[in-house]
Amino acid sequence: MEITIRDETNVTILALKGRLDLGTGSAVKEQVKNLFEKEKTMIHLNLAEVEFINSSGLGSLVSIMKEVRLRKGRLTLSNLDSYVQEIFEITQLSHIFEIFATEEETLNSYRAVPVS
Amino acid sequence: MHTVVDRMGRFLAQLQSSDFADREKAVKELATFYGDEAIAGLVLALEDSDPRIRELAADSLGRTNVCFASQLLIRSQNHRNIETRKLVTEFLVRIGSPAVQFLLDALDDDDPDIRMFAVCMLGRIRDDTTVGALCERLSDGNLKVVRSAVEALGEIGSSKAIPALVATYEKIADVRLQVVEALGKIGDPAAVEALLGYLKADDPLLLCAVIEAVGNIGAKDSVETLREHLDSKDPAIAETALAAIINITAKYGQDFGYDLPVKQFQGFLISSIKNGDKKITEFILNRLTGLCEQQMVGFALDALDFVEEGAVKRILEALGKVGPSASELILERFVESTYRTKLILLDILGWFVDESIAGRLVDFVDDPHPEVRRKIAYTLGKAGWSGAAATLKKLATDEVGYVREAAFVALGWLCSERDVDFLLTGLKDEYSDVREAALGALVIISGPKVIAKLAADLYHHDSGRQHLAVTGLGLIGEREVIDPLMKVLNHPEPSIRKAALTSLARIGEITDIEPLKLALHDENSGVRKAAVSALITIQGERAVGEIRFLLDDKDVWVRYHTISSIGRLGFDKHSEYLLPYLEEEEDIVRIAATKAVAQMANRRVLPQPEASPKEERYCRGC
Repeated sequence: MEITIRDETNVTILALKGRLDLGTGSAVKEQVKNLFEKEKTMIHLNLAEVEFINSSGLGSLVSIMKEVRLRKGRLTLSNLDSYVQEIFEITQLSHIFEIFATEEETLNSYRAVPVS
Repeated sequence: MHTVVDRMGRFLAQLQSSDFADREKAVKELATFYGDEAIAGLVLALEDSDPRIRELAADSLGRTNVCFASQLLIRSQNHRNIETRKLVTEFLVRIGSPAVQFLLDALDDDDPDIRMFAVCMLGRIRDDTTVGALCERLSDGNLKVVRSAVEALGEIGSSKAIPALVATYEKIADVRLQVVEALGKIGDPAAVEALLGYLKADDPLLLCAVIEAVGNIGAKDSVETLREHLDSKDPAIAETALAAIINITAKYGQDFGYDLPVKQFQGFLISSIKNGDKKITEFILNRLTGLCEQQMVGFALDALDFVEEGAVKRILEALGKVGPSASELILERFVESTYRTKLILLDILGWFVDESIAGRLVDFVDDPHPEVRRKIAYTLGKAGWSGAAATLKKLATDEVGYVREAAFVALGWLCSERDVDFLLTGLKDEYSDVREAALGALVIISGPKVIAKLAADLYHHDSGRQHLAVTGLGLIGEREVIDPLMKVLNHPEPSIRKAALTSLARIGEITDIEPLKLALHDENSGVRKAAVSALITIQGERAVGEIRFLLDDKDVWVRYHTISSIGRLGFDKHSEYLLPYLEEEEDIVRIAATKAVAQMANRRVLPQPEASPKEERYCRGC
């Protein structure tokens, strides 16, 4: 999996490319952990190029969410592929993740009102 | 033969009948006559004991000679029946201008009740040409007439009345309150100077009225004077002064109250919000974020129950900015809150719920409202706190299906393998939403136990369970599910075979594709199509040789799907397989082939359109 990281105002964006499973999920968790060490807790995952996610991948996202919450940060997701979106609907994870249609919408939300 | 007079006489007599139908007929008939007697009869019917007759009479009068009717009604205004008086009033107001002259004439009547009635009616009609005549009534010998004239002038709202009203204030102490209110209603800044002078009044009721009137007029210059009354020992005066300043603020869209002692007036402001005072609500909403944290949260929570949706959103935004420290106050208020507010509070808590908040929230799990219990389940799930599992399991046995659904979903978010056995019980729930929620939770948790259970369910006697199992295994998507999904390609149910193929294609990483190749020969066309997609996804261009024979499948949609799948690969070399289908009888297959060949960027092989005879002639000429 390719992970591209860039900083925007108030948020760090991780653009993921490839399959999100056990191995790649751990890689994403590792990257997020590095961000925590730099005291970056406002994190956005752009999933536009994630065409497959399995239960391990979901577990990684939930785990990242818990860590972000512990640090009183914010985790957002955007550009969910239709299959990924389907999984989020069945597991109702859309209730606990802030999901935006586009990265631009997400960035606007960080500019407007930080929730916590 | 009856004369017209005879007939009218009969109808007039019928008005006294004890039979409703007779009286109703009489009124309807009288309405068809022209003449003062008929109108008098209709006026008489206004006193009928039955409201339907009274309304019919009033309605009929509106279509008659309004001048005569007006005169009659003004004279007969002192009907015993209050409903009749109301009808007369409405009738005159409806007539409007044509009635004005009769009302002006009645201002000089000897009977003070008629003068008062005429004054009131003129106030209702609001014709500002009557201001002069009404001002004259300010000198009427009867106090009730004077008071009504003051009120009427306030209703009309003409600035021309200000000098006369100011003079009346000085002259007659008993109507000062009404004068002040009238000046406030007129709303002309020309009255401010006089009103500010009345602020010296000793009577607290009058003083409040003056302050309110100044606020209604809304002159910026009066703010400083009004401020002085914020410190009044009489809370009613101080509160009225605050409301007046807020009124002026609203009028100009400017904030003259930036340093108002809001805390001092918290009770008054909240009760004003509860009473639906829009200006005060707006004032508070505008400054929520400027208040200290505790004060802001207090205001916000108090107001939540009484504001509209748009305002709720603004309150939520403000509370969101406060962050987790708002939680403590929210939890304190939770029990006593209304159903609607509880739902909003749970939304807020959901933003920053953690173990400590979740630990408090479990106390409210027996809330009488299922929607609240449902939201509590979601909020507990968001906390991700394993300590909430016991509470969520309790909610998962709730009597209401959607509460159980939320509880199963939330248990999934906790990601605890210890809950797998319990989650499996959700697959047996009577409601499909609950079963799907339990499945979603199992997908997140996954693990060997879940996979083994779902694999076993693939052959459950209940076909619904079979479908849940194949969906679940597909969504789990781990290598461990490949084996059970491969085996299921021999399942007796075609939809299960098809779902397994779709999931296998998505998972990829298949080493043995023979079962998939066999599925190309499945008796079910849907399964054959799924097998085509699966092989193309897994093998790419190498699959074409395997699937080619389906270009001649007996099912037109399998042919269509195979052509489209080969086309999407985009390899020029495959176009030769598709060319024969450009001539296919079936339109849908021909279209698919044309599109597929075009996708292969091989337009040169497309047949050239035949030239028309006209074109041929033109070309020959060339």
